[in-house]
Amino acid sequence: MYYHGTGAAMEQVTALLARAGPIGSSSAAPTSSPPSSSSPPSSSSSAPAGAAAAAAAGGTSAASLIASAPGTSSSGTVALPTCKPSSQDALRWERRLQKELMAFVTDPPPGLSIDADAASQNLQDWTVDLRGAEGTLYEGENFQLNFKFNSKYPFDAPQVMFVGNHIPVHPHIYSNGHICLSILTEDWSPAHSVQSVCLSIMSMLSSCKDKKRPVDNSLYVKTCNKNPKKTKWWYHDDTV
Amino acid sequence: MGDATGEAEAKVDAQVNQDVLIMEQQRQIEEEISEAIPLVGAKEDLLGTLEKEYISDPIYSMKAKDLSSKYSSIRRTRPDGNCFFRAFAYAYFERLLTCKDDYKGFYDIVSKSKDDLIELGFPQFTLEDFYETFMEVVERIGSGDMTQDELHELFNNQGQSNYIVVYLRLITSGKLQRDADFYLNFIDGNRTMTAFCHQEVEPMFKESDHIHIIALSAALNVGVRVRYMDRGDSAQVIAHDFPEGSAPAVHLLYRPGHYDILYEQ
Repeated sequence: MYYHGTGAAMEQVTALLARAGPIGSSSAAPTSSPPSSSSPPSSSSSAPAGAAAAAAAGGTSAASLIASAPGTSSSGTVALPTCKPSSQDALRWERRLQKELMAFVTDPPPGLSIDADAASQNLQDWTVDLRGAEGTLYEGENFQLNFKFNSKYPFDAPQVMFVGNHIPVHPHIYSNGHICLSILTEDWSPAHSVQSVCLSIMSMLSSCKDKKRPVDNSLYVKTCNKNPKKTKWWYHDDTV
Repeated sequence: MGDATGEAEAKVDAQVNQDVLIMEQQRQIEEEISEAIPLVGAKEDLLGTLEKEYISDPIYSMKAKDLSSKYSSIRRTRPDGNCFFRAFAYAYFERLLTCKDDYKGFYDIVSKSKDDLIELGFPQFTLEDFYETFMEVVERIGSGDMTQDELHELFNNQGQSNYIVVYLRLITSGKLQRDADFYLNFIDGNRTMTAFCHQEVEPMFKESDHIHIIALSAALNVGVRVRYMDRGDSAQVIAHDFPEGSAPAVHLLYRPGHYDILYEQ
């Protein structure tokens, strides 16, 4: 899960995840479904309510979601729509992101916060505020992490990078905000989430002993693609 | 002066483009594959289809003949790295449609799998998402509310199909970590079992090896017989049963790098 796969780092992440607690249970009550779950995903004024409804809907069966989707009749029996893969998949990534957003807002992991209004306006683009943990080299510093999701999320990894005018100085973070972390590319799994990615990055910052840029920073920053997912990363260094 | 700068830039450009080009090409190949082959195909006559494929290949032709003495049909899956998991799920769910005796035991195992995985430290939040989708399908099969056609359609719906694949990957990872002492004997290098699972089991599109098959078949108590078709000398297509000595409920054909579903005579 953690880049370079050192055992210690991984235990740290697992511990952080454990401390973050069972977020799923706090948001999803899969037993009852609202009569009509066709609430639009993005309306800024009613963001929390909308997200809550969506989160609740997340617990209902996919079939009932499909049945209540506009254009399909909602007969009592559960029947697969003849063939609407695209709309069904669209529902899936939105549903997943709404659930994640809801969980993040109701129970934010320590040191992390998110502008929920902005994120629910555009579910495919989140900015998370991250505060350097106490007792680490980044104590008192504030950073911003940007997440971009495509419609294949969670099967495709999100595009994650630091943004804003304060990029952490770290051996695996380039000055343009790109992060060398294997779970963001080849070790991504759909079982990861925004929360677990944030915690991995927090842990990567917290375990840093020497604040410096990657050795190839200037060349990389000059030559890389704007999208860090387009870089062929080499995960080699297992000391930091 | 101007020339020198131009040259330097060209050099730098070449460095960037190579990375991008490789990945671009890889994506393109993946797309081409995915457009050409359905996630799970229709049942095909085994001998006919393999003979056509290996018309100029005596070794494989011979093996196709041998295979056809035991199996009547084949069902291809998309070679996207998920083929083992997808083939396994399709073949076993298809069997459950008619073989009600196996259902209860399977249902009991999978319905408690979520708690086992959470206990192992999997994040509950994402796990639940996959578990629920997986169980919906299992329950529909159990209640008789699923036809063969519907199952086929479901497995060719990318979203639902991949959710099932993910959940099987997580079950596999859970089994490997729970019995790490045993399974560590099968992996190379100095990786911990957790690292191995994070890198080789949980990510989508990572290919399966023996170790994945052993762990999944053991975790779900579902026997898998894999027929190995390769360039080896034997005129027969060798069978391996997982877990060893079990009665096979699922039959798969392995050709280097890929699994398809087989149907017995």
